[in-house]
Parts: sequence; C-alpha cells; structure tokens
Amino acid sequence: MTMGTETRAAEAVRVSGASKRFGRVTAFADVDLVVRRGEIHALLGENGAGKTTLVKMLAGLETADSGEFWIDGEPIGDLDARSARDRGVALVQQHFTLVPTLTASENLVLARRESAVLPSTKVARARLTELVDRFGLDVRDGVPVSALSVGEQQRLEILRALDADAGVLLLDEPTAVLTGAEATALLGVCRRLADEGRAVVIITHRLSEVIDGCDRVTVLRDGSVVLADATVAEHSAAGLADAMVGREMGDARHREPTTTADGDARPARLRVDGVSSGVLRGVSFGVAAGEVLGVAGVDGNGQAELEAVLAAIVVPESGRVTLDGEELPHGRPRERIGRRVAYIPSDRYATALVRPMSLADNVELGRGGWWRPRRQVRQRAVEDRLARWDVRSAGAAAAVRSLSGGNAQKLVLARELDEVPDLVITCHPTRGLDPGAARTVAERVLDAADDGAAVVWMGAELEEVLAVSHRVIVLSRGRITGTFERPFDRSAIGLAMGGASRSTPPATPDDDSHGNSGSGS
Amino acid sequence: MTTAAVELDPREPELIETGGSHRARHVAVLVGVPVIAVVGALAIGAVLIAQEGENPFAVYADVFRGVFTENRGLRNTATSATPLLLMGLGLAIAYRARLFTIGAEGQYVLGAVMATAFATAHGVRDLPGVVLIPSCIVIAGLTGMVWSGISAELSNRFNTSVVISSLLLTYIATAVMQWLIRVGIKDPDGFVPQSRVIGNAGLPTVPLLNTHLGFVIAVALVPIAAVMMSRTRFGYRVDVIGHNPIALRANEVATGKMLFAVLGIVGFLSGLAGYIQVAGVTTRINAQFSLGYGFTAIIVALLGRLHPVGVLVAALGISGLNIGFDAAERSHDVPSSLVAVVQALLIIFVVIGDAVANRFLRDDD
Repeated sequence: MTMGTETRAAEAVRVSGASKRFGRVTAFADVDLVVRRGEIHALLGENGAGKTTLVKMLAGLETADSGEFWIDGEPIGDLDARSARDRGVALVQQHFTLVPTLTASENLVLARRESAVLPSTKVARARLTELVDRFGLDVRDGVPVSALSVGEQQRLEILRALDADAGVLLLDEPTAVLTGAEATALLGVCRRLADEGRAVVIITHRLSEVIDGCDRVTVLRDGSVVLADATVAEHSAAGLADAMVGREMGDARHREPTTTADGDARPARLRVDGVSSGVLRGVSFGVAAGEVLGVAGVDGNGQAELEAVLAAIVVPESGRVTLDGEELPHGRPRERIGRRVAYIPSDRYATALVRPMSLADNVELGRGGWWRPRRQVRQRAVEDRLARWDVRSAGAAAAVRSLSGGNAQKLVLARELDEVPDLVITCHPTRGLDPGAARTVAERVLDAADDGAAVVWMGAELEEVLAVSHRVIVLSRGRITGTFERPFDRSAIGLAMGGASRSTPPATPDDDSHGNSGSGS
Repeated sequence: MTTAAVELDPREPELIETGGSHRARHVAVLVGVPVIAVVGALAIGAVLIAQEGENPFAVYADVFRGVFTENRGLRNTATSATPLLLMGLGLAIAYRARLFTIGAEGQYVLGAVMATAFATAHGVRDLPGVVLIPSCIVIAGLTGMVWSGISAELSNRFNTSVVISSLLLTYIATAVMQWLIRVGIKDPDGFVPQSRVIGNAGLPTVPLLNTHLGFVIAVALVPIAAVMMSRTRFGYRVDVIGHNPIALRANEVATGKMLFAVLGIVGFLSGLAGYIQVAGVTTRINAQFSLGYGFTAIIVALLGRLHPVGVLVAALGISGLNIGFDAAERSHDVPSSLVAVVQALLIIFVVIGDAVANRFLRDDD
C-alpha cells in the first residue's frame, strides 16, 4: 500500500502475495499480478503451473490462503463469486458450463437474469443475435447446445461472459478449441474490448497469440511468477517459451514424422469405404501401417461423426470401416479394444476417464477380466506403468479429478498405447495442454506409428496436424474436399477448408443438396 | 457471465472408495454421518415424546428392551429386517449405478403372488418343500426381474425415466395382486379375498437362530453382494455407469445392457423378498400383504451408504426401531407411528450430514 492512488486507478486488478494450497499440493505461492484497463494480459505457464486456479480465485471461485487483492484500486477483503461478479469480473472457464439441453439463447438469458421472469424466446433470440453481430462470434441458435460443435460451445461461453458487460474479462484458454482464423477473430474482439476500457486476461499456450495479440505477459512456473508483468514487445516467442518451461525448447513443437521408404507401396491397414453418418457423406480413405493421416477442417464439418465411427462407438449409416480386412466391431467397445484400436478422444473427461475413480480403476477401463484382484494389488500393478508414462499424481489410488489436464491425457495414453496398437484414433490429443506435455503426447502417438500402427489424427490446430502427418485429408461439409501429400501446400489446404466453409456449416445431415465442394471418393 | 459457477463441481457423497491417503477420513464420513444422524433423530424424537407428556428416557429404554430383552424381540427384528435387507441390497447396487428405481415394492408383491400361485396350484401344492422352495425362489425372482426389466426396456427404447416407470409399475403390480386374490389364487374357503396357505413351500425355522430360513439367505447374500461390487467386472461397471455412462459405452459395454442387468438384480431380490415374506411370515397373501417394505428399503439402502455391509446394519437398525417402538407403545402413551417420524428424520440428517461433510472436509485431491 505504498503506491500512490493514481497508479492504482488504471489498475483493474492487483494481486499481491497470493498463495493457494490444496492439501500437500501448492497451486501457487506468493504470486503478484497486475492487470490494467485497456490492455490484454497474457497468463502463460505449463499445465499445473497454477494459472487456472489463479483466475478462478480472481473470479471468486477459489479462496486464496493468503494475499491481498484490489479491484479498481479498491482493496477487497473477502473475494467471493458474487462480489467478483458485482465488480464486473467475468470468467470463461476452460470446461464448458452450458446447459446442454437448452439452446444458445436460452443459455444466454439464464446466465444474466434481468428480472424474475425469463424473457420470451423472441427477446432471447434477439439478444443473442445482437451479441453475435456485435462481436462476430457465430453461434447457431434453436438447437440444443449439446448439438453444437465444441468450437461453437466455446464461442457461446465467451458471448455469455461478454453479455454481462464485464469490466475485467478472464479467459481460461479460450482459443484451445478454435481454429486459427477463429482465434485471430477472438483476439480482435479482445482488442476491441480492451480499447473500450476493459481489462482482458487470457490464458493461452499459443505463444504466437501472446506475441501478436497481447500487451503484457505474466509467466507462471510451478506456482511461482517467473516473469512478472512484462511488456510483450520486449520478448520473443522463444524467450517466453524458455521462461515457461525453464529449459531450452526447439522451434518445432514436434519432430518430423519418420517417413517410411515403402510407405506408399504398403497396403492400407485401415480402410474407410463410403462412410456416411450424420453430416458425413460418403467418406473414403485408407491408412497404411506406420502412416499418420491428418484430418483437417473447421470444427463441425464431420469430425465428430468420423471420430465416433472410427472409434467404433457409432454404426455408420452406410459404408464400411475395416482394419486389416476385418470390419470394426461397432457398438462393441471390448472387441474394439481387443482388436487393438487405441482411442484418444476429443473430450477425455467425457469419453475416456471417470473422474471420481482412481487412476488404477481408470487404467482398467475396457480391460481386464471378469474377476478383479484386490484393490491394493490392482493399484500396485499400475504404478510401474504410471511411472513409465510420466503420469504425475499422488499415487495410483488418487482420484483422476486431482490430475492436471496434461497428466490426465498421459493417463489415457498409458492405457491406450501401452500395448502397441494396430490403429490409433486420436482427436485433438493436445487440446488444452502446455507445449511440453503436448509434445510428449504427440511423440508417444508418433511412436505408436513407428511401431506399425495406422494413425488417424484429427486436429483443430492446422499447424499441429501438418507437423505430425504424412498425409492430410480435409473435411468440409461432411465430404473430403482434398487430399494432400508432404510437402503440404498450405494455401491449397486453406482453400479446401475454407472453400466450403465460406457459407455456414451444414446444420442438418440432409443439407448436402447444394454441396458443390467436390466429393471425397 | 458464468453463473452457477460455484456448483460447477458438485461433490456428491463420495461413495466410491479409492483407497489411498484419504481413506481414513472417507470411512469416517461414511460411518460417522449416519451415527450422528441416529443421535440427532432420536434427540428430536425425544422432544416429540416429551410433548406427549411421557419421559423420553423411559420410552427409549422400553424401545431398547423391546428389541433386546423382550421375548422374541430379536427374532422379530431379524424377521422384519429380511425383506428390507434383500431389497436394500438390490437398491444399493442400482443407486451406485445412479438408476433410481423406486419400484421394489411392486416387484416384491408380484414375486410373492407368482410364487404363491405356483405353490398353491392344484397338483403342485402336494410336492415336497425341497422341490417347492427352490422353484418358488426362481419363480419369484424371475417375476421381479421381468417387472423391473420393463423399466429398463422403457428407458432404453423410449428414454422414459426409471424413477417414474418403476413407481407406476408398482401401482399396477398391487392392483394385479388385489385382483388375483379375488379370482385366480383365491382361497375358496376364505370369507375375505385371500390366497390359499402356501403350505409345503413355507420356509423352515432355523434352529438356534429361531428365525425362518429367509433371514439366513438374506444375510448370506451380503458378502456375495460385497464381493460382487468390489471384485468383479460387473461391480466395476456399476460404478463406472454411475459416474460416466459415456465412458462406459465407449470402453466397456452398451449402457442398455447394464440397465437390464442392474434393474434385473433389483427385481430378482425384490421378488425373492416377496416370496420369503409369504413363506416365512404371512403364510398367505391377503389385501394387507403390502406393508411398504419396498419403500422402506430405499431408506435402508441410503442409510447403508449403498454398501452391502452398511445395508445389513441399516436393515437391522430400521427393523429394530419398528419392533422397539411397537413394544414401547404397549407400555407408554406414545403412538408407534412416531417411528416413522424418527426414520424420516434419520434420512434428512444423513443428507444434511453428507452435505456438511463435503463442504468442510472437501477432498484435497
């Protein structure tokens, strides 16, 4: 409290000496943070560095063990969710908080009640339309939120926060699921919001976004501030990456894929013949042993359907999916696992993990016989595997919800890839992970390819897909609009992605009557 | 604005034991909350007894005496605990799977009716007990299974709520029973609508214990259920479907099959409980056969923390309260229906206790 009042006036948020522990685990200790109005402040750090806990604390969702807080220069004694909201602090969390059965506009009006009575559908829709127009974040209305793509849900989350007209906007990895163009647009929105006098805090792993879109940056590592309130212009991406991980990092996030000399001559292990399912329309492709096939495209163009079909969860409406000549056992997950099809889903918490159950129990999911060993035996049996896959936790008995995102994903890998698979289906496997963990995850998937697996990699980040894949197909409006070999022609890929997505993505499966964007097969 | 953010991670009573460092505290909450709830419920019960002008301590002493020292007190406790225990075991498994069926009562009634119909049928009723008893067990169990399975089929096919369909099926089952004791299985010599006496299918009394065989069967099922939950793939799947049905569907088995399996177990045990009640206690079915055991069993499952051993303790406890208050009514001026108040308070206190424990003893992990 030695600083002058006028200095603090421009400060939207000031945190001094904040600490937070969860039992024996320190989330962060003695953290200082200053966020000013009119600026975009990036919060960088690896998973588990304490960024999410820090912004949750600012939004009043977590209580700090110690530390002092000011909002708009005013000291805040007890920061809870209500006082934070009343002071205009809004948080967009990394994991969605939408009501899945309600439409976008219904979710919107539920969040900010203006009176005891909810507005009519018409008013609600108008409000959503107005927000969509104002901020340029497109969200479909009139269908349940659960039917929206992950990207759309994320955009709705952001719109909902903006709807509250927050003075301080905290975004926890808002761009993790967005495509490059969408992320750029979002940063533009953030810039506009900052120019209007708001303070924006963005947690992101994309260094390029920090460099291009942010004014200031605070870097957290292991719960401590390693770079405090620095001006972004004075730092390079490489320098920030070093500060974040505390070690030298190469430029390329992933190693180049090892190209098999006779790759093209090899017969396809995985064959997809004329598969239609939902948005997907007659998609055909093949993947050879040791090959990584990238699937690129804007979210909502059939990736989710392709994922469900390849993971043998959904039976395709028509067409066949065969692995080494045998049809995939759709709807029989145990047989899918028996056929050594590894599945690393796009939403690990929804599809791959059971959060309240222990690590050991989660490793067992889909595996193991009818009779289970004693709990202690089960837990001891997986300890070695957890160590091998570098899953950092309080032990095999800990609940999965205690894991950070990166460690949770490594747990999925420890289950799916420990035995060399024949086929790997992976969707956004590095979503929400910091560069260090993302690289580990990608390398482990590529290891599986080196060991002879056919790999299908569906990704939201084009750069990443291009870095890991031998071959890339582009999905647009449920069809393959292009197949590309290395070296990749980015502009052609962009054209294939964008050519069809210039119009709005198809909302219904029967929307292909005017699909003029070429066919996949 | 992300409202309702505080409720984002609702920590429900953690009924899954993962072991590890928090185990002691976990067990303390599991056991401690019901114990405190019993004390709290009895304390409020004492106030109500005082309102009636009686001395609560004297009444409670008679409740205790009614169970432990009075002639046949323990025997009656064990006997009336039997249907509660059988149905409580099934319901505990279903609730672990988050399948909130409340239809045990209907399965219980129909199981009893079908077993009685079989055992009193012409030509069958003269068969020896060694043949009749196992046959009745199978018939009653399968009847309950089919009745419960209707809820599963309706849920799988039309996505109807298991809670609602199971409850409504109970009314149908009761109506079927009322009809059958007037026409199909009616005792021709009876003046009131009732079935014939179950006769050779009646359960023998176990020497030493002085209870009917059904109690022994029910208690023997406790370790079986406990092992099934903790050591078999089925028990694992029950826990997985309870917490993440999507993960179950993607990795283990279709959720629809689990629905049939879990509700089938509930139905089997409930139907069995119905037969055992006829064969061990009432000897025949009359209009008053249904006493709501199937609903009390819901309380037993919850008080028993959805664990088979806990269900055993809860079944005996609830049954003891009933027997004890019945005895106390004979010597004091308190209505025995007070026991219903105490039982309801128990549930409320357990629910509150879990919420409080979760708030102040949040797992750090």
